[in-house]
Amino acid sequence: MDNLRSAREISDAELVEQASSGDDGAFDTLVRRHYASAYRVALSVTRRDDVAQDVVQDAFVKAFSALVSFRGDSSFRTWMMTVTANEARATLRKRVRWSESSIEAAGPLEAGGPNPAEQVVTVQESTRARAMLDSLPEKQRLAISARIDDGLSFREIGALVGSSEGAARVNYFHGIRRLRELMA
Amino acid sequence: MNEMDCGEVREILPDFAAKRIETQGSVSVEAHLSSCEDCRSELGLIQMLQAASPVVPVLLADRVASAVRTSKRSAHRPWSGIAAAAVVLLALGVGMSRDRADVMGGIVFESDLETEEGELWLSEDGVLAGDLWIEGLSDETLMKLLAELESEGVV
Repeated sequence: MDNLRSAREISDAELVEQASSGDDGAFDTLVRRHYASAYRVALSVTRRDDVAQDVVQDAFVKAFSALVSFRGDSSFRTWMMTVTANEARATLRKRVRWSESSIEAAGPLEAGGPNPAEQVVTVQESTRARAMLDSLPEKQRLAISARIDDGLSFREIGALVGSSEGAARVNYFHGIRRLRELMA
Repeated sequence: MNEMDCGEVREILPDFAAKRIETQGSVSVEAHLSSCEDCRSELGLIQMLQAASPVVPVLLADRVASAVRTSKRSAHRPWSGIAAAAVVLLALGVGMSRDRADVMGGIVFESDLETEEGELWLSEDGVLAGDLWIEGLSDETLMKLLAELESEGVV
């Protein structure tokens, strides 16, 4: 009967167990379930699409090579997102010179503030809100993205950014307040 | 129905905006929003952020899955590198052996039929090369070869 269950019905915990036993299909399913969340985390940290994609690939390879270290204390998704965040930070450290130049160059804030004509266009407003988000400190960016895009709890966000649940909550609300100020 | 305060509502606004909470919770949030402009403003910001959520590259999943499979195969075959090196060495050995056979064949052919008059083919190189093929010739062939050389005045 188990064989009749679709991949969607199988829990991450079961897939991890199967993957640990060498099941290629389980690996694939875990990748396809969680690569998008991992990508958003990588993008939040690196703020560059090409770098984020490399980070996601490296993070999954490393995660699966060390799958035995996943003890199930958190969900696989949270663990994978945390591995990705760590990989993204490590990548940025390796590219210090690049990050000092390119990230600043890619900074979303334009001199002179928002164009009033944009304020009536929802799409442009949304894009601007995202650009403002990119201008926040890493922990606030990660907290907001993980909460809004992936629905992580503050406890999970705390694990993701390496802080307590309370600190994760503060990062999130402080970031939201700052964004509202920037968007006003 | 208990009324929610701003703190409670803001805690779950992202879930409300993404329709991740159950109907009863949604009704409570909507009731609060109808009378709280500040929370509506925050909801507007969250909806804007969600509307512009990063587009995940469609081919990234395939790329990652492929990288994981490749890595996994490598990890499960720890001797693959050594085996590959052994194959290379074997191929080199075969190549060297084939090269030697080719040299031998060429020398036999040239010495039998194409030795030009005056060519010092029994120079040091020739002797060395000849050593490779002379060993395999019969006494009769060797005598015939010697006669040819004598007739051409080489020896």
